[in-house]
Amino acid sequence: MSRLASLVQKEFQQFRRDKKMRAIVIVAPIMQILVLGYAANMDVKDVPLAVYDQDRSAESRDLAAAFVSSGSFLLAASPQSNREVDETLSSGRAEIALVIPPDFGSRLEGRGSPSLQLLVDGSRANTAAVALAYASSVASNFSLRYAPAGIRVSLPVETRTRVWYNPELKSRVFMIPGVFALLLMVITIILTSLAIVKEKESGTLEQLIVTPLRKAELIAGKLAPFVIISLVIICLALVACYLFFGIAPRGSIPLLFLLSLALVFSTLGIGLLVSTIARTQQQAMMFSIFFFMFPMMILSGFVFPIANMPAPIRALTYLMPLRYYMIIVRGIFLKGSGLELLWPQLWPLLVIGVAVVSFSIARFRKQLD
Amino acid sequence: MKGRVGALVRKEYRHILRDPGTLGALLVIPLFLLAMFGWAISLDVNEVPLLVRDLDHSAESRALAAAFFASGRFTRVDDRGGDTGASLDSGRAAATLELPRGLARALGRGETAELQVLVDGSDATRAATVIGYIEGIVLRFGAEKLALKAAGSGRELPGALDSHPRVLFNQELKSVNNLVPGLVAIIIIISGVISTALAVVREKELGSMEQLIVSPLESWELIVGKTLPYATIGLVSAATVLTAGSLLFGVAVKGSLVELALMTTLFVFACLALGILISTIAPTQQVAFLASAMLTLLPTFLLSGFVFPIRNMPVVIQALTWLFPTKYYIEILQALMVKGVGIVSYWHQALGLLVYALAAASIAALRFARSRGR
Amino acid sequence: MSAATMDAISVDSLVKRFGSFVAVDGISFEVPAGSVFGLLGANGAGKSTAIRMLCGLLEPSSGSARIAGIDVTRDPEGVKRSIGYMSQRFSLYEDLTIAENLRFFAGLYGLSPSRARTEAERVLALTGLAGREDSLAGELPGGFRQRLALGCALLHAPRVLFLDEPTAGVDPLARRRFWDIIYAVAESGSTVLVTTHYLDEAEYCATVTLMHAGRIVAEGSPAGLKAEHFPSAMVEVVCEDPAAALALLAADKRVEEASLFGSKLHAALAPGFGDEAGAGEELVREALGAGGIAATSVERIPPSLEDVFIRVISGSAEADL
Repeated sequence: MSRLASLVQKEFQQFRRDKKMRAIVIVAPIMQILVLGYAANMDVKDVPLAVYDQDRSAESRDLAAAFVSSGSFLLAASPQSNREVDETLSSGRAEIALVIPPDFGSRLEGRGSPSLQLLVDGSRANTAAVALAYASSVASNFSLRYAPAGIRVSLPVETRTRVWYNPELKSRVFMIPGVFALLLMVITIILTSLAIVKEKESGTLEQLIVTPLRKAELIAGKLAPFVIISLVIICLALVACYLFFGIAPRGSIPLLFLLSLALVFSTLGIGLLVSTIARTQQQAMMFSIFFFMFPMMILSGFVFPIANMPAPIRALTYLMPLRYYMIIVRGIFLKGSGLELLWPQLWPLLVIGVAVVSFSIARFRKQLD
Repeated sequence: MKGRVGALVRKEYRHILRDPGTLGALLVIPLFLLAMFGWAISLDVNEVPLLVRDLDHSAESRALAAAFFASGRFTRVDDRGGDTGASLDSGRAAATLELPRGLARALGRGETAELQVLVDGSDATRAATVIGYIEGIVLRFGAEKLALKAAGSGRELPGALDSHPRVLFNQELKSVNNLVPGLVAIIIIISGVISTALAVVREKELGSMEQLIVSPLESWELIVGKTLPYATIGLVSAATVLTAGSLLFGVAVKGSLVELALMTTLFVFACLALGILISTIAPTQQVAFLASAMLTLLPTFLLSGFVFPIRNMPVVIQALTWLFPTKYYIEILQALMVKGVGIVSYWHQALGLLVYALAAASIAALRFARSRGR
Repeated sequence: MSAATMDAISVDSLVKRFGSFVAVDGISFEVPAGSVFGLLGANGAGKSTAIRMLCGLLEPSSGSARIAGIDVTRDPEGVKRSIGYMSQRFSLYEDLTIAENLRFFAGLYGLSPSRARTEAERVLALTGLAGREDSLAGELPGGFRQRLALGCALLHAPRVLFLDEPTAGVDPLARRRFWDIIYAVAESGSTVLVTTHYLDEAEYCATVTLMHAGRIVAEGSPAGLKAEHFPSAMVEVVCEDPAAALALLAADKRVEEASLFGSKLHAALAPGFGDEAGAGEELVREALGAGGIAATSVERIPPSLEDVFIRVISGSAEADL
């Protein structure tokens, strides 16, 4: 049997014997998709609202009802004073408060312009802005209902909006492919970053490098089993996405596998690079978490849009495989994009993969120094 | 007794100091991440690429089109002809707008004109905001036209409802104010849980654990000795981030510093307990790493509520968040740092953290003592 | 030069520096094909560093070496095909069985599956591990692990075999058996270079080299070394007060050197004294008696390599002073 084949066979033999690792590799993707898929939800819905109604007119009650029926807000408190309003916001019982002045109803009937006060808890900056926008639009739409009798007020311009790819505007549809991508990146880097260091630490690397095994064969032999394991993980994750969330790729699944292989190739390469540099497993882990996994989690466009980042950071993201893969995964899942549209994301992935793996091979020396 | 623990603590410090890589990672990287958070990240929806197709070519339609780009929220995407949807497919545009032929005429006659809007709904929150912007601009344009007409015909129309929005606690809605607490939590949990679990398992793997176990050290002394250095590194790291956050980005601690220190110490304690607990379960460093990463990194990032609101999660998942100490700590930090309130307001989170810490510590201690045969 | 007369190992002024520390300070030696060569020395003398350079595992700072005709400094990979190596620390896969380990390394050395099977059987028989093929390497007792490591190094019938402290921590009976295997290997034509700090094992080697502080301080066959450094008699004394006896004999001009071996005393007589049978013992018994020290036994013994070693080291230490 060829040297490379021997090495791959050994890796699988070891993997088969390692029950805990096997369990983690199979259970982790499913669990993470399940848990994080449910959690990764940025919809602004059921925001706890406090209403301080100083008017208590039919109109003010209508307004409060409009907020609740919009679906975005949930009545959480009815404070009776300004101090109570402050308290509900500080304690977190409500995240947004509506204060209706005593003359609201009469002003609405046409004697002057009515006003309101909205107070928002800004400590959750992400949701506060959106909650504020929703609240303002509820308020503006409400006012249009009230026109002096006899005058039909219709807007000269209306919009007919169609939402593509995600008509119900469920954030989960966007997040779950992202979780899928994140998960794949984390697991592949973890698996390979320890692969060679483990043999260094246990001393078996010495025995390997004294044989005729070429270093390219050593590296290929270490990577190949993980490529196969990654394919298994992708299958499990896809099944989990579909079973738990009913989310399946709109585009071609074989294409997804193919392009995922490109990502796996580059992330395995990164883990490998770490493995050849680090001297102990602990070092390898720290290095891979802080230099690769963490920055990629934040800067790949998973939650925070790359377009919002300053130019130098944006430039940095071009070096990250996950950036391209996010676009690929979301393209295939949500838009059904094909290879022609995704090619601009594929070739950088291949380039990064080839570069990292070649660098690892070149740097690696079959000596103990 | 102090002598024995002291010796172990000193040995542990020496291990850490001799490994500059790990030390550097624990101290320097958080600062780097803070810079990222403070500078690079924002969830604002701005500069949305918009494709406007004007089929009317009238003064009105041009005015309406201009209104979109004057708002500062959109950037112009050129119209390459063909199906407007293609620009959404390729990702060139996030939304497209079609101003119909006869728009000006309809406006003149007092009829309603309909704009066709296509929005890329992939990123739902972003899409909702974009729709909000578009509708807002259209609403304003229409209201202006109405007001002009009303002025012309001498009638008075109700003004649009004026809601004076006020943002409390975080006036500029700076994301960084929200994210710094999360970052502090992540640093502590990484150094607390992952490092601790690794350090103990490493000793197990290398066999030197046996030496420690047969020594006169009591179980608790062993645990304290092993975890104290990581606790201090985590605290120093967190303090660095808080200081840097305040100096560089003006993220201030509005509440009591004493309470902050107290709560942080409690959190550190909880993390260390968790780390030791993991170390009693994991036989190898690899498993320890995977287990602690799965229990800390991704969940902290996603489940603790600092990016995604916990409120939206199904009850089962919400219940799961109680398993992660970060959930309590981040809410406490937000209360202390951003809102500036005292323990009166966040006492249930503080209690939760205390209970968590004690539970984790007891289970860990039990398992640890059992594995020693004492 | 025909292949038959070419040395299997030929080392020329090999040096290895780690920063400012010189681990190997210019060693040179030759090992003819088919012999068993011992590299001796205390821990830290530089033996492992030397053997690693010969295997192509470390790059020498200067000097050269030829293994089986290939210059290892220029072509380390080429050498690896023809050598077998057993490291000091157990470096096989503990989570694989004996059979799996053997099959793996057979594959790495390019043996076809059928040949791998035959060679594995041969090696299992040779090392006495037959019947345990399905045991996990990590669960084997110490001595068996060593045998497995040796077996893996022999699968491809290497021309040169390097063994780094192969019997460390193994009981004397098992060590003897191990050396039987080494002899069998040498007999089949391979050359064996062994490092060890067990000086009694060195007796098994055809040629022995002593290393100290990175240098070679003595070289030759065991018998030759003993004759060279102890031309005259050596007497072993067992008495009740070894310390006093030591002081007494060391002061005696007829005794060239006296040293303690555990609780026994070894006295090396100066040249000219005690050459005839019985004369040495006479002399020592008389000296002890004159000093009032009762001796349980006074016996002439052949010098051991340990004696040689101590003499050489202290000699070179004195030279260094």
